[in-house]
Amino acid sequence: MISLWLIPLFPLLGCILLGAIAVISSGSRKGPAEGFVGALAVLFPALSFLSVALLALDMPEAGIRETLCNWIDIPMFRVEFGFLFDGLSRIMLLFVTGIGTLITLYSTGYMHGDRGFARYFAYINLFLFSMIVLVLSDNLLLTFLGWEGVGLCSYLLIGFWNKDLKNCQAANKAFIVNRVGDIGFILGMLCLVTIGGSAILNYDALMNFIQMIINGNHLDLVVPFLSVAGILFFIGCTGKSAQIPLLTWLPDAMAGPTPVSALIHAATMVTSGVYLLARLASMFAILPVVLNIILIIGMLTAFWAAVAGLFQNDIKKVLAYSTISQLGYMFMASGVCAFDASIFHVFTHAFFKAALFLGAGAVIHALAGEQDMRKMGGLLKKTPVTSCVMIFAFLAIVGFPGFAGFWSKDLILERIYTNCTMALPAFTFFGAEVPSIQLNSIIYMVGLATAVITAVYMGRLIILTFFGSYRGSKESEEHIHEAPASMLIPMVILAFGAVFAGYFWADSIGIKFFADTLAPVVGSAQAYNASAVTIHVNPMVFAAFGTLAALGGMFIAYKIYANARIPAAKGSSAPEGRKATWTFLFDSIHKYVGIIPVNVLAWICDVVVDKILAAAQWTIGAIATILGDGAASFQVRKVRVQVALSIVGLIALVAIVLLTGGTL
Amino acid sequence: MLLHLLVLAPFVAAILMVMTSKEDSKSSSRLAILMGIAFMAMATALVYGGDISTEPIEWFRIPGVKGPVHYYLYSHALASWMVFLSCGLSLVALISARGITCRSYRNFAIGIFSLMGAMNGTFLAADAVLFFFFFEAMVIPAAVLIAGFGGKDRMKAAMTFAIYTLVGSAPMMVALWYLLTIADNSMLMSLAIALQSLPEGTQNVLLICFLLAFLVKTPIFPFHGWQAITYAEAPAPLSAILTGAMSKAGVFGFITWVLPIFPLSLNAVSCMMWLGLFTAVYGALMALRATDGKKLLAFSSMGHLGLAVAGVFSLSEAMFPAVLVLLVAHGISAGAQFFLMGIAERMTGTRELDQLGGLSSKNPVFSTLFGFAGVMALAVPGTAGFVGEFTVLLALWDMGPLPAIVAGFTLILSAAYMLRFIQKVIFGKQAREYEEGERTTLLEGTSVGIMLLLLLVFGFHPAFITDTLARGEATDDAVAAQVLSDASINQGNAPMTADEIHQLDSTLAAAGFKDDERASIIAQMTKDADSEENAENTVKEASDAE
Amino acid sequence: MELQAIYVQILALVIFAIGLIVAVSRRNVFFVLMGVELALNAVNLSFVGFAKTLPNDLSVVGQIVPLFSIAIAAAEACVGLAMVILIFRNRESVDADTYSNMKG
Repeated sequence: MISLWLIPLFPLLGCILLGAIAVISSGSRKGPAEGFVGALAVLFPALSFLSVALLALDMPEAGIRETLCNWIDIPMFRVEFGFLFDGLSRIMLLFVTGIGTLITLYSTGYMHGDRGFARYFAYINLFLFSMIVLVLSDNLLLTFLGWEGVGLCSYLLIGFWNKDLKNCQAANKAFIVNRVGDIGFILGMLCLVTIGGSAILNYDALMNFIQMIINGNHLDLVVPFLSVAGILFFIGCTGKSAQIPLLTWLPDAMAGPTPVSALIHAATMVTSGVYLLARLASMFAILPVVLNIILIIGMLTAFWAAVAGLFQNDIKKVLAYSTISQLGYMFMASGVCAFDASIFHVFTHAFFKAALFLGAGAVIHALAGEQDMRKMGGLLKKTPVTSCVMIFAFLAIVGFPGFAGFWSKDLILERIYTNCTMALPAFTFFGAEVPSIQLNSIIYMVGLATAVITAVYMGRLIILTFFGSYRGSKESEEHIHEAPASMLIPMVILAFGAVFAGYFWADSIGIKFFADTLAPVVGSAQAYNASAVTIHVNPMVFAAFGTLAALGGMFIAYKIYANARIPAAKGSSAPEGRKATWTFLFDSIHKYVGIIPVNVLAWICDVVVDKILAAAQWTIGAIATILGDGAASFQVRKVRVQVALSIVGLIALVAIVLLTGGTL
Repeated sequence: MLLHLLVLAPFVAAILMVMTSKEDSKSSSRLAILMGIAFMAMATALVYGGDISTEPIEWFRIPGVKGPVHYYLYSHALASWMVFLSCGLSLVALISARGITCRSYRNFAIGIFSLMGAMNGTFLAADAVLFFFFFEAMVIPAAVLIAGFGGKDRMKAAMTFAIYTLVGSAPMMVALWYLLTIADNSMLMSLAIALQSLPEGTQNVLLICFLLAFLVKTPIFPFHGWQAITYAEAPAPLSAILTGAMSKAGVFGFITWVLPIFPLSLNAVSCMMWLGLFTAVYGALMALRATDGKKLLAFSSMGHLGLAVAGVFSLSEAMFPAVLVLLVAHGISAGAQFFLMGIAERMTGTRELDQLGGLSSKNPVFSTLFGFAGVMALAVPGTAGFVGEFTVLLALWDMGPLPAIVAGFTLILSAAYMLRFIQKVIFGKQAREYEEGERTTLLEGTSVGIMLLLLLVFGFHPAFITDTLARGEATDDAVAAQVLSDASINQGNAPMTADEIHQLDSTLAAAGFKDDERASIIAQMTKDADSEENAENTVKEASDAE
Repeated sequence: MELQAIYVQILALVIFAIGLIVAVSRRNVFFVLMGVELALNAVNLSFVGFAKTLPNDLSVVGQIVPLFSIAIAAAEACVGLAMVILIFRNRESVDADTYSNMKG
């Protein structure tokens, strides 16, 4: 039997080793041997993937629990280093370590010749360590360790090429925006501690606590407090998973190396918000208000980001907005209490989005760093393998029947329609009675529309990049080459995943493996809300609508972009005009709500308050100096006169004492 | 013996340093570092050796005061950790000062050793007058060192520092003297008892006098005027000691002197807590705008200590370990940052943020250390800073969600300014050409590395720190008994009046003793078999009244 | 004929007055010092004189205190002269009125 703590230990060891190599070799001109470093870098994630796989094979139904030792043990608060390996963490761990290993392998090709080769892999290993801790921990505080740890690694990796200050600023932005969410997480934990003591930070204990409340019918007492906690946790999730309003950092995060975007900003880290919601499923299930907020936010994010994706010229930015949009889908699923569907989408999304990013990386690699799609085109013939991978992943993301995305996205849309109980209450509008409106169909329609837009912008990406004729300069055309094997192998494996990952839970053909494995974790939570389900529609209808959406979107994309003249690329690849207003909507909101007020406050502190204090200090000092000068003027210049005066003074004193008889 | 050594031996070491060669800084630095290591070892032994106290020795008598002043040292968990910080940071300062002080290393070491002795005395003193003596004595070597080794504005900085802190603690001296005239001796317990007999208005005046001294030392808004310029102009190793150990004397004073002596009203407590929180926000905002690297660190320290003070006055059950961990973490991380900033200044010849930059490609080892120190200061989980700040937040949450939210806001701000700081110093391109000074030496790198490692160790296993507190609880009773017996010796054999017993009882109740404990203590005090019943009755009456 | 104690005191007073006048009125710093010494010794003389008149058990004090004060006066003279010499080196003057740089 493999101990659970071995799983995070491997990447941690890798990080320490590689970090040491990076620091030691930093002085030398040539840098460490890439073959050796690359082998080490892949070895540790692979080892931890192996141990996860071995554990996953014979996992008991209830999961494995392990407690290492005390972490914080003070009055009022006690938390342990404990690990929990159950259905949910099994799936998360499998794809985190699996895709992590693949992308590390890919990176050895992608980062070839970079000065910070060893440093890069040290960060990647550190990231895997944090991510594993995040999903493997059995309590919220330890999850938070991983949570901030992945944020930190994301910061380090976005700013990996730190000579360019733009990258550093993107990294800072990512960390600070995430910090805002993290404070929500911390306060949420504090809120929980107030309700049930530090013990309920443990997931099992929290589940029992909720169960106890439900059984004892104390919902009215606790739900208001729990709702506050739930909203705070959700703020944490919006930060990490780039949802409205904390999503601005993810598009900027594309400044990092592309494998990082694939691993951290598409497949694993950004989905940790969804993971947390699923982990706390039992809590969220009894908080209808919070669930509705999650649903609405998820819907808005999915739609907004999909539209923004239409406007981007940078190939990685398109993928970034598409990631945000897909995360919105996952949150919508969580919002209707379909946590297994959301995790399923996390799972399939990890494959096809990682494949897309790695493909984009290979394209960028082939074009020597060019990211503007307006300068690409016709790459199908020059880089056939990459193109095939991208196209498969494309089919998966738009939900083409049979591909991975089809199964998961349809499942989400179906659940939205059937589970959503949100309704506008009846109200009076200009005297007219407006009846209560069920919102499920509206939200379903928005979801479907988003799916159409997804197909459009993804189709645009594929057409602009791989079809038509090459629009770059002649010299660069000659250098276009297929990526090396170390990059191709992971891409092909991921493309397989993008095609077949959906068959773990293909409802229409009767496979429910995925739902069964998650049932022990989220089943009871979903059952709690399932009683509300009244609508019954044939699932085939949803599948048909989903397929129609995908096909329709692809058709629109073909119509618009296949023969359109692409405007020549001007300087920047950033969108302009109204497109920019839409894209940077939340950036400007952040600017006016967050950055400017803080700067004004800081200005007031620095220029007004501090100066006033300085003036007050100066005044006191000046008064003291003036008094001192005045006293000093009593002094006489001549020593002898002073002596004489002091004698006179003494005599006067003695005289007074004698005259009054010492009884003054 | 250990306590005597820790307090007195630094002064002996300073005298020894006087005898070393003035010219040969190598040999004198070797001696200084060896002695520093010895002190460090002693401090570690103190931390893990349990709570100890020395025999009180009568020192002198102040005219007009009943009891004599004792030379009486006593270590508890907080004090021993503070001593650990002061010795540890002094050691690293002695190591890293080799690069910047050049020929007058000897004089620098003399100053550092005297400062260390004074700090240890402050933290270990069990007698209020002794505490005050060392509290003031700290200022002098620090001011002399600033004036001797500081930057351009060093004279102004030294004067500001000395005058500000000395004037700040002058009211405390008067208040202490006033208390002593009515107390039996200058121990904590008798001061607390003496205070009980005063009318409330006088109590408040005394409280303000005491608070002022610690507010200035910490420093808390609006008494922070001395801090930025002092930390910026002082030589970096000294800044590290000032922020890492000396400024802790303020927070230490709140915990060990203000809280036990004064029965604080709810208003005073929440006022102090908000002052601390305001300082935290203010420091973070000022750090956002700072253009000077050391000033930025100074304001960052101010912010963290503000948070610590807010934590102290949350008076939550979790307060004590929380603040202790926060102080230790901040001491180590802020110290490390000042050392590194000193190295950066030495290498590039400037500490203006706009003039720095691009060190990561030029000097990767330094930048790795610098980046890690910055990240540790951000309170990322897994570092001691996180444990401290999280538990302080927990303590603040007890006072209501608003303080915790404000504290959370400061965490966001701290991320903002610290990342900006890291970016400005080590990332980007080199801002200007300069002649590179001496790089990080192996010894410096190792010592800062060990500090960062300690932060990690404490972050993953804070029990190293918090367990020393649990150990303290066991010995608390013994100490209380000892303090009481001191009090009773000075009482002589005169039996206590009922009023006095009642007073003592309420003091003890305020200190959190339970009914039966109170009864037994009072019985001890009165040493009268008959009065045990009396004592019990008194306690009963009191608890009935509650 | 036995010496009357009062004469000793009168002598001491006279010497003290001379010393004081010298210390205050002369400008030469050496004379100032001499005047101070003279005044000091006058006080010693006064002590000894009282040792004669006081009862036996107290008279010892009158003999011991002058011993102390002579020793201290010697030390004080040393320090004083050293300081005077140092100041003289700086100022090239023995005029006490020129020593005014202590004024704030």
